[in-house]
Amino acid sequence: MFAITPNTLSTFMNSISKYIVLLSLLLIGIAAFLIIFIENDYYQGISFKIMFIHVPAAWLSLAIFLSMGITSIIGLIFKSPTAFTIARSLSPIGLIMSIIVLVTGSIWGNLTWGAYWVWDARLTSMLILAFIYLGHILLLYSFEHFQKADFAASILAIIGMVNLPIVKFSVDWWTTLHQGSSVLRIGGPSMTNDYLITLLVSFLGIFMLTMYWFSNIFYIIIEKRKIERSKLLND
Amino acid sequence: MHIIKLNKQIKKRFIFLLIIFICFSSSIFLISYSLKDQIAYFVEPTDLKDMNELENKYLRVGGLVKENSLKFIDGSWVFEVIDQNKNSINVIFSKTLPNLVEEKKGIIVEGKFINSTFIAEIVLAKHDENYMPQSAIDKLKEEGKWRGD
Repeated sequence: MFAITPNTLSTFMNSISKYIVLLSLLLIGIAAFLIIFIENDYYQGISFKIMFIHVPAAWLSLAIFLSMGITSIIGLIFKSPTAFTIARSLSPIGLIMSIIVLVTGSIWGNLTWGAYWVWDARLTSMLILAFIYLGHILLLYSFEHFQKADFAASILAIIGMVNLPIVKFSVDWWTTLHQGSSVLRIGGPSMTNDYLITLLVSFLGIFMLTMYWFSNIFYIIIEKRKIERSKLLND
Repeated sequence: MHIIKLNKQIKKRFIFLLIIFICFSSSIFLISYSLKDQIAYFVEPTDLKDMNELENKYLRVGGLVKENSLKFIDGSWVFEVIDQNKNSINVIFSKTLPNLVEEKKGIIVEGKFINSTFIAEIVLAKHDENYMPQSAIDKLKEEGKWRGD
């Protein structure tokens, strides 16, 4: 990662992005087909099917923050512009993912629990994660020089990583209205295989879509910097 | 010579970040540990020991709706909330129940104890993390492996 410049990474991702988007559309199509045709849950009925968007978005919002944290550490320690730019382009995707989690979660909650929102540990820590994403983006765009912005935002990303285990394990550490983990838990998944396959296909589809989106944002950031640099040289 | 100098700087930055992270995470740990009773969303009937102290105190109690206890009497729902240790409380709720409230399923009631009866103001259905189609349950029942209701 230290040897790769932002330019080479941008060119590489741009060259494979059209295959990624095709793959993601294919997977999302299969997932949509599966979601429509699998049986309803015996207890929750059709409303549980919102899980196939809610859970992948939740995994991604955590995974994206973890990658932002790790790239921020690498960026700060090795002064790597590539790592900083990766963190910078991941942050808006993470914010959108956490908003999707909160919105689909409220809809699901209203259908099953009987409340759009409660202040239990899982919901509150997820809201905090969304606010950390927002703060990260605001920090990135509140400095004149992007190097300074990267420094400040990466400190926030590293500190914000403390919230990740709290979001993940809040349902085990405290009593919550939110149900426990169904897939990544001790004792194996607590759902039947057809649901599990649907969930994984849906996750892969949404994951590929975020990768495509990430490569686009990365490309735009790099191209913008090139334009700014050439303007400075011309002046 | 140059490489040695760079390694020193890298080490310095690494230790700096490690200190920030450790300080921050331990402070968060201490805060959440000392507030663990406030962070917990509900208590179970087993946790309620001194009934006199709890009188008129606003709290949330969670558990399962006891079998054959859910009844509609004089315009309000009456049921018992039971936990794994078989301790239970009597609950009265005078509004509409959420759709998923069923016997032997999770529930959270929010309100006060008045004369040892829990007068609920809000009732929430709590579903667990098991998802299954009806056909899988029928199959398990045929094999005699179904342990639910």
